[in-house]
Amino acid sequence: MTLQTNGATGGKWHARYPELGTGPVPIEPYISLEYFEKEREHIFRKVWLNVGRVEQIPEPGDYFVKDLAVCRTSVIIVRGHDGQVHAFHNMCSHRGNPVVWNAKGTCKMFTCRYHSWTYGLDGTLRHIPDEKNFYGIKKDAHGLTPVAVDTWEGFIFINVDPRPKETLREYLGAAGESFEGYPFAEMATGCSTWEVDVNANWKVCKDAFQEVYHIFSLHNKSTGAAFASTSNPYLNVHELALFGPHARISVPANLDWKPTPVEALARRYGMLALQKQGSSSQGMPSGVNPTASPDWSFSGLIYFPNMCLFVADGGIIMHTMWPLSENRTHWEARTYFPKAKTLAHRFSQEYSRATFVDGVLVEDGGTFEKTQSMLASGAKKQVILGDEELLIRHHHKVTEQFFNA
Amino acid sequence: MSKRQLPEGFQDLEPYLEWSLATDRERSIKRQTSPMTKITAFYQAVVPRMDEILAYLEQYPLEQVPADAQRLFYLTLSLAKIAPAVEMYGEPVPEGLDTLRLENIDIYPTRS
Amino acid sequence: MALGKNKWHDRYPELGTGPIPVEPYVSPEYFEQERDRIFRKTWLNIGRVEQIPQPGDYFVKDLTVCNTSILVVRGKDGEVRAFHNMCSHRGNQLVWDTKGRCQTFSCKFHGWTYALDGSLRHITDEHNFFGLKKETLGMTPLAVDTWEGFIFINVDPDPQQALSEYLGKGLRTSITGYPFEDLSTNCFSWHTDVQANWKVAKDAFQEVYHISTLHRRIIGDVYASKANPYANALDFTLYPPHGRVSLSANPGRKLTGVESIVQGFGSTVLQQNNSASEELPAGVNPTGYPHWSFDGLALFPNCLIYVSKGTYLTHIFWPITENLTRWEIRTYSPQAETLSGRFSQEYGKVSFRDTLLEDASTLERTQTMLRSGAKKEIVLQDEELLIRQHYKVTESFLNA
Repeated sequence: MTLQTNGATGGKWHARYPELGTGPVPIEPYISLEYFEKEREHIFRKVWLNVGRVEQIPEPGDYFVKDLAVCRTSVIIVRGHDGQVHAFHNMCSHRGNPVVWNAKGTCKMFTCRYHSWTYGLDGTLRHIPDEKNFYGIKKDAHGLTPVAVDTWEGFIFINVDPRPKETLREYLGAAGESFEGYPFAEMATGCSTWEVDVNANWKVCKDAFQEVYHIFSLHNKSTGAAFASTSNPYLNVHELALFGPHARISVPANLDWKPTPVEALARRYGMLALQKQGSSSQGMPSGVNPTASPDWSFSGLIYFPNMCLFVADGGIIMHTMWPLSENRTHWEARTYFPKAKTLAHRFSQEYSRATFVDGVLVEDGGTFEKTQSMLASGAKKQVILGDEELLIRHHHKVTEQFFNA
Repeated sequence: MSKRQLPEGFQDLEPYLEWSLATDRERSIKRQTSPMTKITAFYQAVVPRMDEILAYLEQYPLEQVPADAQRLFYLTLSLAKIAPAVEMYGEPVPEGLDTLRLENIDIYPTRS
Repeated sequence: MALGKNKWHDRYPELGTGPIPVEPYVSPEYFEQERDRIFRKTWLNIGRVEQIPQPGDYFVKDLTVCNTSILVVRGKDGEVRAFHNMCSHRGNQLVWDTKGRCQTFSCKFHGWTYALDGSLRHITDEHNFFGLKKETLGMTPLAVDTWEGFIFINVDPDPQQALSEYLGKGLRTSITGYPFEDLSTNCFSWHTDVQANWKVAKDAFQEVYHISTLHRRIIGDVYASKANPYANALDFTLYPPHGRVSLSANPGRKLTGVESIVQGFGSTVLQQNNSASEELPAGVNPTGYPHWSFDGLALFPNCLIYVSKGTYLTHIFWPITENLTRWEIRTYSPQAETLSGRFSQEYGKVSFRDTLLEDASTLERTQTMLRSGAKKEIVLQDEELLIRQHYKVTESFLNA
């Protein structure tokens, strides 16, 4: 079938991936409880999920707890005496109480608050109070239940599948490889996290970070003015590329942008997370500014299912969407900057964080609940995607593949 | 005459000490609850002095910042916070998610 | 127990006289059925034409109970239209303000632009889309119609009845000629969210049996008199699914000091004594009672309109969940022409609000106890006919 309309041949990006098609996408995945349960069983309980970074637990005994409602569990991530990162279901072997109630901390042993059963950092059961009153219990069979855990570039991933089908490295594939060597550890010495529960499907949130078509419009007063230029008014991107379930996006800057007075001051004393005027990718791995464009701003690893990791010359922005139900999401947004060396450098980072809060958390975040309320109306059954929204379409296709696997 | 709050040479900014706030949440609330006239007055008073201020603050190692310089530093953080309101939005906060819903969390270890 | 002289229920024997169940006030399942079979099927009053007098004027109504938000706009041709407030691109809410005036609607997300008639006019970066037909991607329209200046919408894509049929000839005729338009120039509006089922809130305004107790200090003697101590109504007439009540005032009531001052400068919220209804249409004050106070129209499912001489008011109850309701109150009266007229209206507004506060004090308490499960039924007397009718009408909708 030939369509007359401009762009019907597949556009710049869709032509590379004809298997995705170009038609509208159904709304059902955003509102259906049944669909959500399938996502839970076929995706979130099967794949590697990023739960944090190694800087959160630098020393033996450091731990943090991640509540993963979508996987129906809570997980302890701890650095053992052996220096290795371990993960366990946060569940006492006695009667199932969560062993750790704090969000993070440091300890030598985990002691359950319920009956004081005590576990080593390696998960082994060390002590049962009043042990003689139990019946033929074998302590070595009652350690904490381990969860598969691995790290990549300092990011900690877990997989609640008792027997993961792939290693983390295999799952990350070429998409991950292309970001290896970016100075993650150097950037991640300083971290700011914002968390909020929004009444929206997790994909409504993720979609906002999988395309930059909205920047000229939604962010017209802030980043829109800076990024969109006369030659590229809708901020068409340098590259969209697909790697199995994952994808990569690389976004241009506007070389003609004149910074505002305070932005210029901030820029003088440090790098901003989102460079509007273009920045250098010299020495960076191949996935960072893959087109080697002089007007490069930032590149992103869109990791299936729920993480968007954006790297720039001066810092990292990361979003993780944790589904709570088909219309509720725990959204985690993080910025990573190198530790500030001077007060002026701190001022510079504070400015960058302020613009991130306004432009991303407030402006993008402001659309989520509004969109969800209309998707649920039933007024329309499908949404429409343009060429620059390839990654949204890809997410739906990947999901179908997981469901049918 | 009350005691000097800001370092020598910056006392003319003392009328703006209400913006010298130590935490991100205080600065967020201050921005959200101040009228644009007040935000703009603060912006206009501080921006012309920023070269001087930042050069002054650069001299202190992070572990040894005197109280008056610390207050001056907090003023600059408030400027960072309100600059988008003046330079981009023309209103205290952009339309969208209520910032007070955002929980700012420190995920790195806190050692005593 | 029937007393043998229960004249209202005698007129409508099909309603029965037994207790009614508590379940409709507390059950989430029942609430979901109300949502699907009533609120997503019937005509709902969402405002008045005076809210959008000029082409380009619009307002937005969030209808949680219908799972949508609605954009109501007057077109360049003067017609009132309603649309789901949804962009055809990725579903974002199109308009974020609650009201305003514009030439076109632009989505904040990606700048897609729609005309006042809902047609899609502009797609930004259009050449990056695939074979789009703009004419098929307008906003999704909703059925909308007006009656006596009230705007009604129906989210059913294919409404079973026209608005005029749904309201019915009897009800429409009974009020034809009432000067809604003249009285609608000046509107005071309040809303509040109460932790109670929407019917608990509506019930409080479908009967006046409670006035002599709950409101004894403020308006205890306004309707009740020695001869009629429980403010029994003058008339109940049902126009299924709707109904009407007509109430008398207490002819012997003495005005308070401030009331006698304000009475000289114009109507307060509801006529509190001896109001002549001669200039009003024949259907109003149906018994022709000389000391008439007001008539209350109960429009199924969630709207009450009280008409009096020189003023009228509406209560609309918007369900949010089975135990949370947005209660909207609006009073309408002519624009005051003098400062003393304004003073008079202010007094009326304040005294009316005090009455509402007393009503509100029962709603959440009632809901708490209905949820306790301590009792499975409630009992209704003859003057609570409209509450019983509401229950019966709902049953017929749920079983249709």
